[in-house]
Amino acid sequence: MNKIITRFGEVEYDPEKLLHFPAGLIGLPTLRDFIVMPNRKEGPLFWIQSVDEPGMAFVLTDPTNFFLDYRVAPDTAERQTLRIDQGDDCFVLVVVTVPPDQKITLNLAAPILYAPKSNRALQMILDKGGFSPKTPLPG
Amino acid sequence: MLVLTRKLGEGIVVGDDITITVVEIKGGTVRLGIEAPRSTQIHRQEVYRRIVAENRDAAHWEMVDLEAVSASLTVLKKETP
Repeated sequence: MNKIITRFGEVEYDPEKLLHFPAGLIGLPTLRDFIVMPNRKEGPLFWIQSVDEPGMAFVLTDPTNFFLDYRVAPDTAERQTLRIDQGDDCFVLVVVTVPPDQKITLNLAAPILYAPKSNRALQMILDKGGFSPKTPLPG
Repeated sequence: MLVLTRKLGEGIVVGDDITITVVEIKGGTVRLGIEAPRSTQIHRQEVYRRIVAENRDAAHWEMVDLEAVSASLTVLKKETP
């Protein structure tokens, strides 16, 4: 087990079980390895802690918790990056912005594809669909 | 910044595997054709910048806000662990 000091305290992790973004996040290409942290409260939000930069952490969620019809599938190049084949599981997650007023928004314009088989993920930009990077919760 | 002048139908080559061609010029608008490997991410600059800004915004949050939000959220579907 390894340890890092994050802004939320000390975190112990297994370096074999990191979530790996081969290209980092968009605009943050050096953030490649993350610890998946369970939320301390019940609910659909969880967070990932960067190992490369201990000051960086992101809140994620499954967008279909809030937008039932939201679907994104990997194309051939994306499957290659994720090291999966056509029939393999690939889940969609989105980055949640949690501002001090607690009116959270979801970045539906740039979802994250996650392949459990390889523990790899990538963030992509949807050019079509008219999704906003700051989509408020419905209702 | 490197600045090149190109006419309709002419292009530029970036590295060994990216070609950008001027496909149409109309009014103040230029249409570009881009040939690149499939794994190369290509985006409109303003879209890309908005996503980068949002990612940077999203990295700044406080645990107390996350916990308060988590307690108040309702989800549409049953959670599958």
